[in-house]
Amino acid sequence: MLDKGVHPHFDHLIDLTKGEINRKIFSDPEIYQTELKQIFARCWLFLGHTSQLPNENDFFTAYMGEDPVIVTRHSDGKIGAFLNMCRHRGNRVCRADSGNQRMFTCPFHGWTFANNGNLKTVPGFKQCYHEELDMESHGLVPVAKIDNYKGMIFATFDAKAPSLEDFLGDMAWYLDMMLDRREGGIEVLPGTHKWRIKCNWKFPVDNFIGDSYHGPVSHGSAWESGFEGMPRRKKGYGYEGFQINAGNGHGFGARWAENEEQVYEMALPEFLDYEHDRFPETHSRLGDLRGMHLSPMHGSIFPNFSMLWQSGNIRVWHPRGVSETEGWSWCFVDKKAAPDHRDMVRIHDLQRHGTSGTWEQDDVDNWVQSTKSSKGYVGRQFAQNLSMGVAHEIEDPKTIHPDMRGRVAGFQNEINQRQLYAQWAKMMNGDTPDVPGATV
Amino acid sequence: MSTDIRAISDIDLWFSITQFYSREARYLDDLEFDKWVGLLAEDLRYWMPIVSNRIGRGIGSELTERGHLAHFEDDYVSMSNRVKRLATGRAWAETPPGRTNHMVSNVEIVGKENKMVQVTSKFLIYRSHMETDQEVFSGTRKDVLREDADTTWKVADRTIVLDHAVLMQKSLGIFF
Ligand code: FES
Ligand SMILES: [Fe+2]
Repeated sequence: MLDKGVHPHFDHLIDLTKGEINRKIFSDPEIYQTELKQIFARCWLFLGHTSQLPNENDFFTAYMGEDPVIVTRHSDGKIGAFLNMCRHRGNRVCRADSGNQRMFTCPFHGWTFANNGNLKTVPGFKQCYHEELDMESHGLVPVAKIDNYKGMIFATFDAKAPSLEDFLGDMAWYLDMMLDRREGGIEVLPGTHKWRIKCNWKFPVDNFIGDSYHGPVSHGSAWESGFEGMPRRKKGYGYEGFQINAGNGHGFGARWAENEEQVYEMALPEFLDYEHDRFPETHSRLGDLRGMHLSPMHGSIFPNFSMLWQSGNIRVWHPRGVSETEGWSWCFVDKKAAPDHRDMVRIHDLQRHGTSGTWEQDDVDNWVQSTKSSKGYVGRQFAQNLSMGVAHEIEDPKTIHPDMRGRVAGFQNEINQRQLYAQWAKMMNGDTPDVPGATV
Repeated sequence: MSTDIRAISDIDLWFSITQFYSREARYLDDLEFDKWVGLLAEDLRYWMPIVSNRIGRGIGSELTERGHLAHFEDDYVSMSNRVKRLATGRAWAETPPGRTNHMVSNVEIVGKENKMVQVTSKFLIYRSHMETDQEVFSGTRKDVLREDADTTWKVADRTIVLDHAVLMQKSLGIFF
């Protein structure tokens, strides 16, 4: 698998039995261009949550890979997503991050599009275009598919992509621990942290999907200075819990509570009342495994969505070239949560995660330096190591609990990272995307 | 200062506040964070909302409000804890520490009460970190300063508006 020339297939860069991957996947500009096509133009990508578009004609802008999109709620209530690119000269038709508008007028020559993508007016349609421009085929480019899972809006540019349900697979069932633990689900608070990190986009995804190992070293300073995390650590590496891989490159890590008492033991003191308040409802909605035993902490949905479930934090890692990433981070709360609990979740989250986060700050330079190491010719001849627990997956996860789904390993095991890169290779090797209506 | 602030001449007040800001900036640049915390009031509100791009009818609502997500929403205890973290020797974002210069200018006194002043100012902070990382932070501070016998002033309330919608800085690990 080492760097001995050009490989026609990407799986040569990933050795799952040894847990080694070739560092050039973090630094090769050609591989990056292939990722934009094979991964970001094919996968379902997270755009936002329905609570961010409460009213008719609300919109926000987002990205799918490096492609800017506008996400709108049309006056018929339907949510759509369109390339934020005028079909004339490609100018952005919307320069706002969010707002409420029925129409988007391109600032360049004034083509005007409705928020369902239709091209409505073209200045000089008669005098300049002699009525020969086909208005119908020059609307904003819509995504091929858009759907939401319990409020989480995803879209893909690939008409051949499986349904969102199939793409999420068992991960959807596990996501219910966030989205369906209380009646009404969640709501995302206004405000998005957006910031640039000079790292390859895969490093943070890798970190969030399964790197429970870095916590005590990377985040020790925050933990002992009053920014304790959840669930509370008992000692050293002694978490009791699991890394769960739900398939399709999605995975998460969760602590394990044997009974209701242990659920409360894990809670931070300031959240204890709320935990007591919500537990019976969660338990009756989700049952023993999802409603009591598993306390999910960190996870990622392939390719670039991550979450810190119990800190009320979700985020997307937008690729910005092979060595740069733009993080977008949000805070969510249970819709049912009372104002004082919302305040606590928000403050807990922002003091730990996102731009000024006392935890997050200390992650960033690690990812930056790992990216830099992938650039040196000699350094690239040595594999990235993901071998932790490679021979120690739990053979039959049903022995842990009969409802358990996916592949499971102990809490300190790099199974989720290995499966992330396995999915990466699978997508890179697969079909090219079918972008409907593409004209070149 | 123990008299009513309204009785102090504007030039004396302005001098006192600009001196205070320069000292505060020096503490931050010289990594004297404990001394910096000493300039914060125990009922401190320290808030940095998030700015975003708006057009049309959205102009004027660029900043997140109270109750929304913010970059900072801190109090005296959490700011002291942020400083404590830096002293552990394992706050990796500041290991080695960045080199900063806090420049504070356009100091304008916009309100006076008996023991308090409201002040707006502009800042430009340059940070150099490790080998070649460079960061520039620009923005506005809106302060409520309270008279203090030991430190001349204490920061009771600080709202910081950073100009960046997408931060080009790798994190907000410094103080403003
Ligand atoms: S580029 Fe949009 S109208 Fe010309
Ligand atoms: Fe981390």
